Amino acid sequence: MGLIPSFIERKDVAESSDSIQISAIFEIEGRTLALLSDIEKKRTILSTVPSKLSEEADILLKSEEKTGAQINLDTGSKVEGYGVFSFSYGPVSAGVTEAGGFKLITYGERIVKVVPQINFKKRGVEHKAIGMKPEDALLLVERSAGNFSASYSTCFVTTIENILGLQVSSRSRWMRAVAIELERIYNHLHVFARLSETATQNVAAAEANVLKERVLRINAKYFGHRYLFGFNRIGSVYQNHFTKDRRKDLVNDIKNITRDFSHLVTYFLSSRIFLDRLQNTARLPHLDALKLGAVGPSARASAIDWDDRITYPIEPYNDIFVEIETEDEEDTMSRTMVRIREIQSSMLMLEQLLDRMPSDETMSDKTSDNGLNYMQDNFSFCRIESPSGDLIQVVQLDKEGYIKFLHIRPPSLVNWLPFAKSLEGNVFTDFQFAYESFGLSYADSDR
Amino acid sequence: MVKFWILHGIKNGILTTKYPKKKPTEEEIPARSVPPFAAPESNWIQGQETCPTDAIENNTNSLDLGRCIYCRRCSDAGFIFDDNPEDRHKSLQAKISQNELIRKEVAGIFSKKTNIFRKSFHILMIDVGSCNACNLEVLNLSNPYYDLTRLGIFFTNSPKHADVLVVVGALNKAMVDVLKQTYDSMPEPKLVISIGACAISGGIFKETESFVSSIDKVIPVDVTVPGCPPSPIQILQGLLLCMNKIEKDERIPGSKGGL
Repeated sequence: MGLIPSFIERKDVAESSDSIQISAIFEIEGRTLALLSDIEKKRTILSTVPSKLSEEADILLKSEEKTGAQINLDTGSKVEGYGVFSFSYGPVSAGVTEAGGFKLITYGERIVKVVPQINFKKRGVEHKAIGMKPEDALLLVERSAGNFSASYSTCFVTTIENILGLQVSSRSRWMRAVAIELERIYNHLHVFARLSETATQNVAAAEANVLKERVLRINAKYFGHRYLFGFNRIGSVYQNHFTKDRRKDLVNDIKNITRDFSHLVTYFLSSRIFLDRLQNTARLPHLDALKLGAVGPSARASAIDWDDRITYPIEPYNDIFVEIETEDEEDTMSRTMVRIREIQSSMLMLEQLLDRMPSDETMSDKTSDNGLNYMQDNFSFCRIESPSGDLIQVVQLDKEGYIKFLHIRPPSLVNWLPFAKSLEGNVFTDFQFAYESFGLSYADSDR
Repeated sequence: MVKFWILHGIKNGILTTKYPKKKPTEEEIPARSVPPFAAPESNWIQGQETCPTDAIENNTNSLDLGRCIYCRRCSDAGFIFDDNPEDRHKSLQAKISQNELIRKEVAGIFSKKTNIFRKSFHILMIDVGSCNACNLEVLNLSNPYYDLTRLGIFFTNSPKHADVLVVVGALNKAMVDVLKQTYDSMPEPKLVISIGACAISGGIFKETESFVSSIDKVIPVDVTVPGCPPSPIQILQGLLLCMNKIEKDERIPGSKGGL
C-alpha cells in the first residue's frame, strides 16, 4: 500500500452523519466500495457501502448500467390528481441544446415535479475502455464531455500516474491546473451568457459571449485546441513552446479579460430587471443539497463548504492560494454569484500559477500527495473540481497495464436530482433559469 | 445603463470576422483543426498503427478527414504538421518528405438543389450523441465574432421552420427514430449537414456499444464538415456552401488545412 495523504481516510465501516455525503459507489474485485465526503472535516473517506442506501444514493449505482436503456431519475412519491398535467420535453428541444429530456408534472402554471430523463446519448465510455491501453482510453475519456475535457483528462491521467507510480514534473502538473482554470472560466462565462440570454438581456449576453470566445481563442493559442483536447499525456503534457515570454503574454491576455469582465459584472448587477428574475428562483435548501449530494457551484450556493481544490488538494492546488466561494441564499442569484466570484478567483489563480510555474522539467517529489494507491489491487482514484463540480474517476489496471476497470462519477449526474428538487413549487418560466444556473450537461452524465 | 452599453460597444469596435469577404485569419483556424500535410512513405504503416480511428488508409496513401479526430498521434510516427516550424525543419534535413499526402474529399454529394436559400436560411441543430463540444461550436456562431444573422442565417427551434438540419454527434441507438422523425417533419426543400468526425464516421466512438452508423446511412447528407470539433469558421463554410454562396474549392483557406 502506498502512502495515504492526510485528506484521505480509510475506514472499514462507513459512518453515517448529517455532514457526510456519498460521492461514488463502485464495485471492485467483488467488493462494493464507497467514496464519502466528510463536509465538516473536509476529508475524503474510502470505506464499504453503508448497509442502508437511500433512494437518492441508489441513483449513483444505477448510473453504472450499460447503454441502451433510457433512465428516468424518478424519486419520491407519485403525483396524481385532478388538474395535474404531465408532459415530456425533449430530446429535441429549443432551450436544451443537447439530446436529453424531462418529464414535467405541472398543476396549472406551477411545477409539481420534474423527472430528468437521461441516457439518450449514453456512449458507454467506461465499458468501452476495459481492455484498452491507458493512452488509447485517454482519447475516449477526454471526449466524453467536451466542455469539461481538461478536468476529465487530468483526472484520468493523474489516476493512471498514481497507479504506475510515475514521476511527473511539477511543471506539467501546473500546466494542467492552468488548463483546468481556463476551462472553468469559459464554462462559467457560458452559463452567464445563457442566463442573460434567457432573461432577454441580449447585449449583456453578447458581451459575455465575446469574453467566452476570447478565452476559447486563448485555449487554442496556448494549448492548441479550443476545448483543450489532447494536451494531456500520461506522465507529461503536450507543451507547445510554453516559454517565459509566452507565459507573460498569457498573463496579459488574462488581465485584459479580467478587466472587461469586472466592467461587465458591475453594470450587469445594476440591472434590476435581470436580478428580479434570479432572486428567489429555484431554491435548493441546504439540507436537501446535502441529502441529495449536490456538488460544485450549485452546492456551494447552498452553503456547502466543499471544493476539491481545497478539500482534495493535489499539486499545485496545495501550493497556491485558493478560497472556497460560498453563498447562503440558496437561489439562482447566489448560484450566479458563486460563478461570478469563481471566475474572478480563477483569474487571480491563473496569474499566480503562471507567475510561479517551475520553468524547468524538475521531477516532482510530491507523488504521495496526489492520492492513494493500493498496490495489491492496482487501483486508484482521483477527484478534480470540474466547472460543474466534483468529478471522480476510479481506475484499475491489470498486470499487463491494460485497463481492467473504469468508473466515472460525473458532476452533472448527481446534480440532476438537486435541480429537480429546486424547481418544485416554481412556475414554468423559471425552468430555464434553473437549468442554466446548475450548469448541467447531458454529455457529462451520459458519458 | 443604456449609455454604458453604447459606449462600451463603440470602444470595442467591430469584432466580427471579415469572412467570407476575406480569408479567415490564423486566429480563426486553430492549430488542432489542421490535418497533417505530408508524411514520409517509410512511416506510413507506423502512422496507420498509431491512428486510433483508422483515418490513415492502407493502400491509397490518403487521409480520411471524416474519421480524423486531430489527436496528433501520427506526429509521433513522423507525420508533419504545418504549424510547427521545428518539425518541418527536421523533416527537410532528413529529406523524407517526398510523398505529398492526398487529403480525401469528404464534402461529397452536395447537389445544387436550388438557389432559394441565398437570402434567408434557417437552421435547426440536432444532437444525436455528441460530447457537447460540437454543440457549443454551433452555438458560438451566433456570438458577435461570427454573427450569423449578418449572412441571413438564423437559428430556429422547430423542424417545421428549418431549411437545414445540422447533425452533431455519434448516432446513438436511442436517437435513430428521433432523427428520422425530425428529418421527415421538415418541409421541402431541405438540406442536411453533418458536423464533426462523430457524425460523419463515428469518430472515436465508432466502436462503442450504442453507436449505430454514420448519419448518411440513415438520412441523406448534403455537406459534411470534418473536425473534432470543427471551428466555427469551418461550420460557417459548410453553411455557406449550402447557401451556394461559396464554391467548394474556396473552403481551403490557403495551405492551412480546412478541407
